[in-house]
Amino acid sequence: MFDLIINPFITILLFLYKILGGNVVLAIVVFTVLVRLATMPLTLKQQRSTKAMQELQPELKRIQEKYKNDREKAAQAQMELYRQYGVNPLAGCLPLLIQFPILIGLYRAIVATLAATPLELLDLSGRLWVPALASEVPLQNKFLWLNLAVPDPLYVLPVLVVVTTWLQQKLLMPASASSGGSEKSDQAAAMSRQMMTIMPLMFGIFSLSFASGLSIYFIASNLIGIAQYALMGKIGWQSVSGRAPAEAEAKGLPRTAEADPVADEVAEDAVQAKPKRGTGKAARAQQKQAQPKKPAPKPNTSSAAPIVKPKRSGIRDTRLERSQSKSKAKS
Amino acid sequence: MSVRETVLNIFPSKYMRPRLRLGVLLLLAVALAACGGVAGGSWAGVSSSQSGETIYVAYDRSVVALNAASGAVLWEYPDSENRDAQFFAVPVADNGSVYVGDYKGRLHAIDAESGARQWIYEPERKTLIGPLSPDPADRVISGVALSPELAFFGLGSRNVVAVSRGDASRVWTFETGHGVWGTPLYLDAETSPRGEPVLLVTSLDHKLYALDPATGDLFWSVNLGGAAPGDMLYDADRQRVYVGTFGAGVAAVDLVEGRVVGRFQTEEWVWSSPALADDQLFIGDLGGNLYAVTIGDDGFSQNWKVNLTQEAIRGTPLVADDLVIVGARDGYIYAVNRASGAEAWKKHVEGKVLTELVSVPAEDENGPVTVVAGTDNRDNLIVALNVATGERDWTYANK
Repeated sequence: MFDLIINPFITILLFLYKILGGNVVLAIVVFTVLVRLATMPLTLKQQRSTKAMQELQPELKRIQEKYKNDREKAAQAQMELYRQYGVNPLAGCLPLLIQFPILIGLYRAIVATLAATPLELLDLSGRLWVPALASEVPLQNKFLWLNLAVPDPLYVLPVLVVVTTWLQQKLLMPASASSGGSEKSDQAAAMSRQMMTIMPLMFGIFSLSFASGLSIYFIASNLIGIAQYALMGKIGWQSVSGRAPAEAEAKGLPRTAEADPVADEVAEDAVQAKPKRGTGKAARAQQKQAQPKKPAPKPNTSSAAPIVKPKRSGIRDTRLERSQSKSKAKS
Repeated sequence: MSVRETVLNIFPSKYMRPRLRLGVLLLLAVALAACGGVAGGSWAGVSSSQSGETIYVAYDRSVVALNAASGAVLWEYPDSENRDAQFFAVPVADNGSVYVGDYKGRLHAIDAESGARQWIYEPERKTLIGPLSPDPADRVISGVALSPELAFFGLGSRNVVAVSRGDASRVWTFETGHGVWGTPLYLDAETSPRGEPVLLVTSLDHKLYALDPATGDLFWSVNLGGAAPGDMLYDADRQRVYVGTFGAGVAAVDLVEGRVVGRFQTEEWVWSSPALADDQLFIGDLGGNLYAVTIGDDGFSQNWKVNLTQEAIRGTPLVADDLVIVGARDGYIYAVNRASGAEAWKKHVEGKVLTELVSVPAEDENGPVTVVAGTDNRDNLIVALNVATGERDWTYANK
């Protein structure tokens, strides 16, 4: 089955290598960009689905608490909730199922064309859709100090893989998970932070044993991913700087939909009354359902005064106070 | 799109089960490691002694000498405490020594009788700070060519190295444009068409190089039209070498003129060198085709072609009596009639056959010749078949 993906990928990679003057690094970068562009609709769909699921999380949490001793009823109530809001919990998995073979194909194509070992080179035979591209086989493996078919002896690439993986992860992670705060004691958040350390290191270790060409791909993929999400306005720069979201907002920095733990707390209460603006199908359904009820405070998505409300967790929104005190200090 | 990013998108840390996500990540990591791993990645190197009494097998962590008649193990190198490298290159026996390269870029000289180490050539590595070195660990994939004084071998990256057979010191290094995976070919002054020794080297950079064996200086080079990962066949009568290529068939290179003088185009890529018998070349390609080609004054003419399998024929065909024998990736060894290409027998050997085939002469004049082949199955790593019938004589398992 993978041959249907790997073979055209290998052909495209060799074609790019040919038209880009035999520059293998450039070919890998352009190839990565093309694959990302091709899978962009899937990525967007996946994000929309994930977001819709996130909006239902407070409700799901309540259901779990309510039926914590009866799993069957909890499952029924969850399914009813999904049905009510027109959300398919598996909708986020479908793009993954489609993307996963593409991802594997991408790896295999790069490994096969670099032909680090005889079996890899042998595996390349019969895969080219354009036989004339055989003249490009195998890809030139020399780039700067590197032999792209073997690991980087100076460990520069593994370090770059770790740094760019960490950076991308940090930028895409919710601020609450990355910088601690209200969910510090939460097991999930703790594990997320562990992952943020483990994942870059794991990819770094891979890079120590993989061909350098794959490390080039990891780095290119991370940087292109950061650029892609930045263009989509989904980067949480404050996560990297370590600034609190409100502080970042006060300084005019962008913030992500996921990057505000307080907003999440507020949304938990507000979800039945009024969803955040522009949050999709589930939100509209929630809004419709909430109309007869007493209007709830608007979720904290603008510069309007935030809700200062004691929570079960004891969290209080102090962002406005902090930004005001900062403004005073400045003036 | 990366693994990590894909998973993070699907399993956001705040809301989805972290343990599940960690599990998925580890699963994907293992899958990718399996995809991109570079462990081994080759087949056994198989050869025989000049007398044909001993078979040498280089596979994974050791080199083994087997009795060609029974398959009994004569010795194993290195001993179990010193197995710090992998061996996949073809061992070459000469004058009481066996020479074989490893996956650390080293060359070993082993006593052919006892299996004891005679010497080891270890490449020098420049270091910057501590263990940091700009020279990556290299692999010896090719076999070894031997002159009376020097041993020549290619490296997986791009170099050809000449090492003194006396003291294992490096004499010279020559850099090509890509990996040197085929065994270099040394022609002494008597054999060489130009009357002076020459070392011929093929490379994945599509070129064949003619070098001065004493100094490593380049005499000439020629573009073959495609990568040449395999060995060469020298045709002394025509003063040519034949080289299989990827995409450009089998090229005939005249050693006097230093240019390609003929080409036989195959359907698929050719990894190995052809076999030569009675002015006929026998060529296997990676599409499972076997060709019989007559060498004429004005080029090649195809006598017959048979498609034995859809899988690759990687090794050089073996001509034995009136049969042509090849091993294939589909796990079969095929024997066809040399004159017609008609199938004589085929034998399933429970493992992909990608190694060279080795012919073992009979002990008595009228006895059966044996063909020895390697597979990728450790339980059945080496099999010896009766050439006439295809029946199995013995098997060697590498545990």
